[in-house]
Order: sequence, then structure tokens, then C-alpha cells
Amino acid sequence: MSGRAVLRCWAALMGLLALTTGLAFVPLGAAQLGVSLVIAVTKALLVLLLFMELKGSSGLVRVFAAAGFFWLLIMVGLTSADYMHRSDHRTAIDQIR
Amino acid sequence: MTDDVLTFQYATSDQQREAVTLGMWAFLATEVLFFGALIAAYFNYRIWFGAEFIAAAHMTKVAFGTVNTAVLLTSSACMAMAVNTYQAGRTRAPVLWLTGTALLGLAFIAIKSVEYYLEYQEHLVPAIDFDVGRYGGVAEIFFLFYFCATGLHALHLLIGISLVTWLAIRIGRGRIDRNGSTTRIIGLYWHFVDIVWIFLFPLIYLAGRSG
Repeated sequence: MSGRAVLRCWAALMGLLALTTGLAFVPLGAAQLGVSLVIAVTKALLVLLLFMELKGSSGLVRVFAAAGFFWLLIMVGLTSADYMHRSDHRTAIDQIR
Repeated sequence: MTDDVLTFQYATSDQQREAVTLGMWAFLATEVLFFGALIAAYFNYRIWFGAEFIAAAHMTKVAFGTVNTAVLLTSSACMAMAVNTYQAGRTRAPVLWLTGTALLGLAFIAIKSVEYYLEYQEHLVPAIDFDVGRYGGVAEIFFLFYFCATGLHALHLLIGISLVTWLAIRIGRGRIDRNGSTTRIIGLYWHFVDIVWIFLFPLIYLAGRSG
């Protein structure tokens, strides 16, 4: 990627950092986590596609890159779904409290 | 020793380049899951403990975290410039950009160390000195996550700083083959460590700021 493209990408990342930090102090309630994660994913995509040159890479390289994140989604999604619907964990938590 | 020359198992340098890139991404996928397990634990704690867990996150130092994010993102831009100028056939420029990358990495570690020290003074370090009576058990779990996640990230960054320093010295001495992948692959590692922080930052520092 060209020097100008690096500069533009850096500026965008800085802008997104300012945005996410600013929005963290705005009372958004339950949407807070979602908003900060959407901005984090956008920043990560900028780094992945531009700095790590996935844009312009072969399909095979992109599939390898996506595989890790795909499995991560399964891991986080399924464990969260499990714990969200458990009712037998109260004793352990009360002990910690 | 010069690396990156076409080794016997490859027919062309393009094939070697693709294989090396795929190998690096396969390694990075394992790293995604390595840090991902920690992130999954974070979400489970957040589901279990709710407001108490988020209140603990509120005790982290958001100014340190934000400055460090800016430092790390800038270091990634320097790394991209190093790869860019190196591929353009220059020698001095990539060495300078790599030096900048390593120095920003060290700045990150320095800021993080000050932050750790302040947290130690506030008795927020589980297993060493944590004031459970004052902060509660849920906060201890949060800070256990915090020190595991940021500590492992800092370890990765130290490895990255070592690799970048090594690379800068070798490029400066003209001992890296221009057609090879070494610079690009070390760049991928550096950017990956940056991505880990991009996700740790909102989960650790931004949770519950408005509350």
C-alpha cells in the first residue's frame, strides 16, 4: 500500500479511536457494548484489509485469515448462549460475592 | 546466513511467498483463538456478574488506555510504512520506520508499566496484593482477567519488539533478500498484536464509563 494510503488509514483509525472513547461517556445504556464492539470491528477490518494487505490477497489467504475469527465467533457465541441460560451457577457466584 | 532464498520444495518464488503467507495466517488463527478464549471468559463473567463486573472495569485508567491505543495504532502505521518503503527497494527508510515501530512499542510497554505500578499501589493486583474487603470478589475476578489479558498482550508485544529490532539490524546490514517475505511476515505479526489490543481496549477501559 502507498504512503498516502497508510496515512489515510492511520487517520481513520485515530478518528475511530476518538469516536469510541467519546461515545463511551455518552449514556447509551445497553447499546454501549454493541456500539464499542462495532467500532472495534471496523478498526480491526481497516488493519486486516489495508495494513495486513488482505485486500488484494488470494482467496485462499483470506479464507485462512477468516477461519480463526469464524471459530472465535462459534466459541464466544455458544459459550455465551450456554451461560446466559444457566440457572445452576448461583451458588458459586454468591460465594465470590 | 541469508534467508528467503527459494528453497528446494518450491517451484517458484510466488509459490513460496503464498505458502509462507498461508503458514503465517494459520499461526495467527491459533493466536486469535488463544486470545479469544480470554475474551470468551470476559463475556461469560459479564453475563454472570453484570453491573458489578462493569463497575470494576470503571476502576481502570482510561486515559492511559486511550493514549496506549493511539501509540499502538501509530506503531502499526510505521510498520506498514516500513514494509512499503522496503518493497520500494529502499534501505535507510525501512530501518528508520522499523526503529520508530520498536520505539513506539517500548513506549506502550513503559506506559503500561506505570499503569501496573499505580494499580499495585491501589492494591488492585490479584494474588499479590488485592484488597478484597474494599473492592469485593467480583472486582478481583475482573482484575485477574485484566492482568492475564494485558500481560499476555504485553508479552506478545515484547516478542514483536525483539523481531522488529532484529529485522532493522539485518536490513541495515543488507542481509535480507529483497524478494523474500521476512519483512512482510513480521509486519503481519505486529499488526495482529495491534488487533488484539483494538478489542481489549473497549472491553477493559470503555465498559461502564457513562454509568
